[in-house]
Amino acid sequence: MIGRMSEDVLSGIGLVKRFGETVALGGVGLQVARGEAVAIMGPSGSGKSTLLHCLAGITRPDAGRVHLLGQRIDTIGERRRSELRRTRFGFVFQFGQLLPELPAEENVALPLMLGGMPRTKAVGRARDWFGPLGLTGKERRRPGELSGGEAQRVAIARALVTEPAVVFADEPTGALDQATGHTVMGLLVDSTRKGGASLVVVTHDPEVARWCDRVVEVRDGLLRGAAGAEAGR
Amino acid sequence: MSALLRLNVRLLRGGGRGGLLGSGLTLVAVAVATTLLLFSVSVNVAFADRAARETWRNPAPAESGARVIQAVGTEFAGGKPIVVVDLAALDPGAPAPPGLPRFPRPGEVWLSSALAELAAELPADRLAARFPGERAGTVGDDALIHPDELVAVLGHRPGAPAVTAERPPGPDLTSVSPTPIKDFAGTETRLAVNYRILAAVAAVLMIVPLLVFGGAAARLTVARRDARLAALRLVGATPGQVVGMTVAEAVVTALAGSAVGTVLYTVAIPVLARIEIAGGGWYAADLWPGIPIVAAVLFAVPLLVGLSAAIGLRQVVVSPLGVARRHTPPALRVIRVLAFVTALLVVPFMSPEVGVGVILTVIGLVFLAINLVGPWVVALIGRITAAVARRPAGLLAARRLVDDPRSAWRTVSGVALTGFVAGFVSLLSPDPSAFTRDTPGDRLELTVPAAQAAGTADAARRRLAQAGVRATVTAEDTRLQGADRVATVVATVSGGGDEALDRGRTALRDLVPGQPPQASRDRDAQAVSLFTDIRTGTVVVLAVSFLVAVAGAGITAASTILDRRRTYALLRLAGTPLEVLDRARRSETMIPLTIMGGGAILTGLFVAAPFATQVGLNPGGLVTLAICVSLGVAGVIGAGALTRPLLKSVTENPAPRPD
Repeated sequence: MIGRMSEDVLSGIGLVKRFGETVALGGVGLQVARGEAVAIMGPSGSGKSTLLHCLAGITRPDAGRVHLLGQRIDTIGERRRSELRRTRFGFVFQFGQLLPELPAEENVALPLMLGGMPRTKAVGRARDWFGPLGLTGKERRRPGELSGGEAQRVAIARALVTEPAVVFADEPTGALDQATGHTVMGLLVDSTRKGGASLVVVTHDPEVARWCDRVVEVRDGLLRGAAGAEAGR
Repeated sequence: MSALLRLNVRLLRGGGRGGLLGSGLTLVAVAVATTLLLFSVSVNVAFADRAARETWRNPAPAESGARVIQAVGTEFAGGKPIVVVDLAALDPGAPAPPGLPRFPRPGEVWLSSALAELAAELPADRLAARFPGERAGTVGDDALIHPDELVAVLGHRPGAPAVTAERPPGPDLTSVSPTPIKDFAGTETRLAVNYRILAAVAAVLMIVPLLVFGGAAARLTVARRDARLAALRLVGATPGQVVGMTVAEAVVTALAGSAVGTVLYTVAIPVLARIEIAGGGWYAADLWPGIPIVAAVLFAVPLLVGLSAAIGLRQVVVSPLGVARRHTPPALRVIRVLAFVTALLVVPFMSPEVGVGVILTVIGLVFLAINLVGPWVVALIGRITAAVARRPAGLLAARRLVDDPRSAWRTVSGVALTGFVAGFVSLLSPDPSAFTRDTPGDRLELTVPAAQAAGTADAARRRLAQAGVRATVTAEDTRLQGADRVATVVATVSGGGDEALDRGRTALRDLVPGQPPQASRDRDAQAVSLFTDIRTGTVVVLAVSFLVAVAGAGITAASTILDRRRTYALLRLAGTPLEVLDRARRSETMIPLTIMGGGAILTGLFVAAPFATQVGLNPGGLVTLAICVSLGVAGVIGAGALTRPLLKSVTENPAPRPD
């Protein structure tokens, strides 16, 4: 477990987000330390995904601030936020995050190529992730030819290939059976840690949350206090 | 089935902005296709109507029982041709010619309204003085090929020089020697037949891209629906129910679209009627194809769209997982290439002698073969590009081409097929000026028997001097015409240009009965007019093709964004700048467009080559071709650029959500 005393990589302060009359976030603050894995829990519609989107620069909060490594990122333009998502963040979602036309290795290499790395080098670096994630031999498969668990592992490789500061995962095992989900979560947490990145996981599944160092709960757009962190298995 | 329809309506209404936008795009596409389809069909009807109104001036000789003597000639005023019909009744009950309420009495002059206007406008010695008789009335529309046609009908006594003198042989001008006829049924002129053939070629060239475009529009409905329908299949809907639902939706949308298209076409008729062919515009009624044809189009378009939708659904119906789970698509069959090559192999055997039907069929087949081979080539280009792509935009574009070559082809097929048309017509569109003989324009000529040459020249000199026209008259060029030795009396008019020439024509009009004086350029007038018309037709065909192509590109680009909004949103989420997405989209279009457009142009040139040797090459056609290519590429890029705001809006909130 990583202590809270470490340097904060990511921090959200007083985040407010409304969708029309609905208040999705009512002033939420959350700090994530370097190498820390934080689970955000809560029932459907509680605002946990909105919190993740605000922290990741996908959605701009109506009020409050988001800092990454001490720099404010909620006020920067869309172009810079895009760049930030590409270089400093990694994403793993429930499903549908891989491009169906691209073979697995090119899906993983894409963020590197977008960053300007030559294709051969990018694909080479992408392939390095296939062995550790148990995907050897699946490099040329397209997402439609992979099982759910394999597709999620490719997504993990893609999230980590740029060596991001923070990996965001939204219900990463939501579409998987329990055993596969267990494997995927283990790989996600281990790989993130090995890469020195922090992990923010949104889930409503306590089994998933138990993999994280710390669990926070969101209800009705507000943080309901931090639950005790439990070491991953 | 009605319950299914109700479910369908609910799904359509519940489809949100994207769903409605997609249906709207289909409707617009079908409306555009219907408008242009009606135009293509109406052009043929219009030429047939014109031909029918012209037959009375191309008399069919009566073997016996003739009631009328008819002769036809052409003369010029103000640089425009005037058809002069000389008539004499052999029997008091002679039938009235078309456009006239009764048979013209001897000495009567009937002018078409355009000719009456021109006669009033020009000084009398340029035109009006040529028809000195009693102005009895106006030649009605039934006797004219177009509203601006200059026609004079002159009544004579039987035996008058105008209805007894042979007309000089003039293959290029309307000229018929006095012919005894029973009635004014007549026969179709050679020129009218030529125009109808050209109209049929133009229609084929326009209709094939329209059908392809219509098919693309239909698949657009399916493309949006396939995920939903695959889900329905997964929950147990029968193939029949799935096909029924989609086809019903496509047909209803297409019905609305074709109705809108019909209204659009009707509204456009007055504008289209201004396109000048054979020296004038059109009667609005000519361009109205008639209720049966409109009804047929209104029935056929939705039927074709429905059929195309059903074919597009095949994959979903066969395998519900085919859409729900994306996998590597099977390679397109090489038979497509074989079909294309076979179609091309027939071309060298083509020549104008094989018959219009065969030529039209071959052109149509090559057209369809290009459409067949297109996706195959697109997939091949995609594989090559994917192998060599260095940057993400190129790689994304290439993988997309391999993944769905048919869809990529649909975006560019319009312009590629237009490239074929442009390549084809650029070779077959001769330069009208090439047909103008290199002769001075101030010579008026009369052909007379050699023995009368001197006397005719004297008389011409007197008449011209009397009319105040400065001219040198000579008799020259004695030659044999059949068994007779003839000479040409030439009056070279000095100064005064067209005006003096017209006055000279008026002065010499009846000097040789049945033979108005001819300027050298008069003989070329019909050829120049025909080739000018071919050029106009080319511009119209290309304009229609480009309209189809650019509309097709725009609609497909928009529908592609709607279809792939999840992919685009995910790419944006992963930090892909909008510019990279846009560049990938552009490459997806431009790579196949460049190769297929170029290939289609070459195919067009290849198919036109056997005919080009007949009419000669036209360097001007290559300029037209270059302009077409530039406009086509600019149009497709423009249409793509117009959909950028849509791309921006669908990726604005890139958070993934289950579709």
